[in-house]
Amino acid sequence: MTKLLEIRSVSVRFGGIHALDDVSLDVGAGEAVGLIGPNGAGKTTLFDCITGVRRPDRGEIRFDGKRIDSLPVHRRSRLGIGRTFQRIELFAGMTTRDHLLVAERERGGDGRLWRDLLGRGAPTPEETRRVDSMITELQLEDFADAQIESLSLGQGRLVELGRALIPEPRLLLLDEPSSGLDSRESAALADVVNDVRRQRDTAVLLVEHDLDLVQAVVDRAYVLDLGRLIASGPLADVFADTAVRKAYLGDGT
Amino acid sequence: MSHLLSYGIPGLAYGCVFALLGMGLVLTYQTSGVFNLAFGAQAYASAVAFYVCVSHGWPIWAAFLLAVVFGAPALGVLMQIGLFRLVRTKPPLVKLVAALGMLIAIPAVLEAGFGAGQLINPPSLWLSPSTIYLHVAGAAINGTELSIVIVTFSVALGCSLLFHFTQIGLRMKAMAESPRMVALAGVNTEAVGIASWMLSSFLAGLAGVLLAPSFGGLQATNFTDLLVAAVAAAAAGSLTSLPYAFLGGILLGVAEEILGGYLPSGAILSSGLRPGFPFVVLLGLLLFLPGLRRRWGKTDDPLAGCDPPPAALMSTVSGPLFRQASRGTILLLVGGFIASVLTWVSGSWVFTITQALVFGIVFLSLVLLTGMSGQISLCQATFAGVGAFTAGQLAAHFNLSILVGLLVAGIVSAAIGVVVALPALRLGGLALALATLAFGLLADNIGFQYSWSGNGQSGITVPRPQLGPINFTSDRSYFVLVCIVLALCVAIVTAIARGTTGRQLAALRGSELAAASIGINPARLKVVVFALSAGIAGVGGALYASLDQSVSASDFNTLISLVLVVVVATIGVYTVEGAIEAGFAYVLLNTVLTTDLPSQYSSLLELLFGAGAIVYVLHPEGVVEYLKRLVLEHFPWRHPAGDPAA
Repeated sequence: MTKLLEIRSVSVRFGGIHALDDVSLDVGAGEAVGLIGPNGAGKTTLFDCITGVRRPDRGEIRFDGKRIDSLPVHRRSRLGIGRTFQRIELFAGMTTRDHLLVAERERGGDGRLWRDLLGRGAPTPEETRRVDSMITELQLEDFADAQIESLSLGQGRLVELGRALIPEPRLLLLDEPSSGLDSRESAALADVVNDVRRQRDTAVLLVEHDLDLVQAVVDRAYVLDLGRLIASGPLADVFADTAVRKAYLGDGT
Repeated sequence: MSHLLSYGIPGLAYGCVFALLGMGLVLTYQTSGVFNLAFGAQAYASAVAFYVCVSHGWPIWAAFLLAVVFGAPALGVLMQIGLFRLVRTKPPLVKLVAALGMLIAIPAVLEAGFGAGQLINPPSLWLSPSTIYLHVAGAAINGTELSIVIVTFSVALGCSLLFHFTQIGLRMKAMAESPRMVALAGVNTEAVGIASWMLSSFLAGLAGVLLAPSFGGLQATNFTDLLVAAVAAAAAGSLTSLPYAFLGGILLGVAEEILGGYLPSGAILSSGLRPGFPFVVLLGLLLFLPGLRRRWGKTDDPLAGCDPPPAALMSTVSGPLFRQASRGTILLLVGGFIASVLTWVSGSWVFTITQALVFGIVFLSLVLLTGMSGQISLCQATFAGVGAFTAGQLAAHFNLSILVGLLVAGIVSAAIGVVVALPALRLGGLALALATLAFGLLADNIGFQYSWSGNGQSGITVPRPQLGPINFTSDRSYFVLVCIVLALCVAIVTAIARGTTGRQLAALRGSELAAASIGINPARLKVVVFALSAGIAGVGGALYASLDQSVSASDFNTLISLVLVVVVATIGVYTVEGAIEAGFAYVLLNTVLTTDLPSQYSSLLELLFGAGAIVYVLHPEGVVEYLKRLVLEHFPWRHPAGDPAA
């Protein structure tokens, strides 16, 4: 399997605290990988490093073989890295459809201003079709034209997922997608993620506390604790690991 | 070396005033989240109160008690309770407009009451300004300077003790993070907020009274111009540190005087130094202090999620039938309006109406910038001036038609817009606002003073355009030209709003992080919109110049920029029609109050802007949108989906 994302010895310090300490991990093309660990382990910090919100103090990050450490957030996104957020980040005042449309448009890159000025800014039939099919896929038909503020948290997370998926990323970073959802909603979310993987061969890196969801989506996982990688491998092995049990349950037996 | 000292020592006194103001700014920003642009106006208010008391024969100490010890804090408390308390958790634009309203209203009220520029030779608080008390390194120190230095250092010591050793000081520091969290810990945040406003207003009053004797007469602009220096001092403290703000203020004053000593006297550069130099310092600090960037980037209370979302625009909640009906009515009204102006409306009113439409174009530039992209510019009048002077100078020197000049004006303004926006855009909204404010003051004092640009107060003449056989010399034909340009600008802004760029801007307003995560380039988008907005303002300015046929630097000064922001924000900055309504409101009020009423009512206009700021704080969507909602709520045919509760 070719390596899509390679992280080599990445470290991030906040003052005296090692948020990430010499972390290395790989995600192969089309592979689903979990990233688990207790709160404060550095999972979101690692996501921020991958997407470019934060620059690591040391280490390198490669995507599809190319170093992306110094690229700004939007350039990495255009290379094919999509993400959702732990604290939901939606565009206030826009409808569900507009969220997806604005993401769909980004596939066209810069230089849309002239087309707007020439009156060519309206959605093309192709764009409308793609947005509609994503709305169907997420089962958000009833909320397609609703203002985003009127959606529930679970629906909001689905919109975020759709917004990240519509530019057809090769790597999807999901940051605690099930937090705030009930068990029925997380099961639906797992279905959507699995469908997407099957249809488009998108690689997924999943940060999640809900181990049922992790098991439903990923094949193998990395475990972070206090900024350090303490275990990795197939899920069953990882759960059996004593260090992991200690970090999660506080016992070494 | 001795030169350096003899120039620098007098600068210490100015530096102390900057330090007092800088500390006051930090204090209120920390505890109430409001960047109090009205600070200079408060200093002016105390100086006026002090002057009036002394001139009525009061002893100095009594006048000081009334003007500084009681009066200044009272004004601060009034502003906090009546206005700033309401904006603590509002977006940056609301906070800024609230402060701007006060900045405009306070001096206007005072000048109406006591006459502008009539208060000459202000009394000194303590030591006589005409006595030389000592010589330091060859520099003579007069009483004003000495008393400023002594008082400032004592006050700084007092503040430091307050913050280190008292409970109220500790609470003020905690308020900086989140007043709601402090409230949850059982502290009466209202009381702490009021205390900090009292302290900071006291500092403002003290600075005002101390500084007054160094001016020949009390004029509001002398004090409001101090603002940039105070902002630069506050920026030196990253808006958080009182000691660094203090130090920054003093260094700024000293450096400014040293620089002034080496520049040739009488040149435009040296007379514009006082507002110009702090601007350069401020910009440098904005660019090179990462802590400052973070602080200004972060505008939200951690508990901001508790707030209800802002009111949706009427166009998004009204039903299709209503929309069709209103579109028909608007077309009919616009047609009737144009026909009326072209036929029976009297000459002077044609001029006024044309002017209103020209301002509509300038306001449109703010709708694009502020309403659609959420950025705040406090130098839109400056961009209009750039456009006006570009078109005028091209017509004068190269005989270029104003019609071509309009286009060039737009391009030049847009290019300057890029230069202003590029360094400031990496920062948050407040930083951009302050950078544009400083740029506007720089243009007022230096840029527009040269004969090749605005030619100072004497100004330049600008002809009316001519296109082949069509002559736009008459007001009615010029009105048609303005209508065409306005329609073009409206078309541009509407196309952007409806197209990809509008959606990208909405996304950026919603969450910059998420917008970047789907591939939107925030910096590029912001620069493009800022430049476009500056360009539209430039076109508006050129039209204004050609309408008036003679313009000077004072037609485009920074105070006008501030007024423009307040007016359009109050009327409605989120819709295209809001811009045109703002144009009419501004020009009609101006005309009625300054020409049709006795002169003592002219300051009513500024008072109205102050009141407008308060209304705006209560209805940030704009008065027009608010009224539309009121009407629509009593409409039988509204769209079921329009009900937010449904």
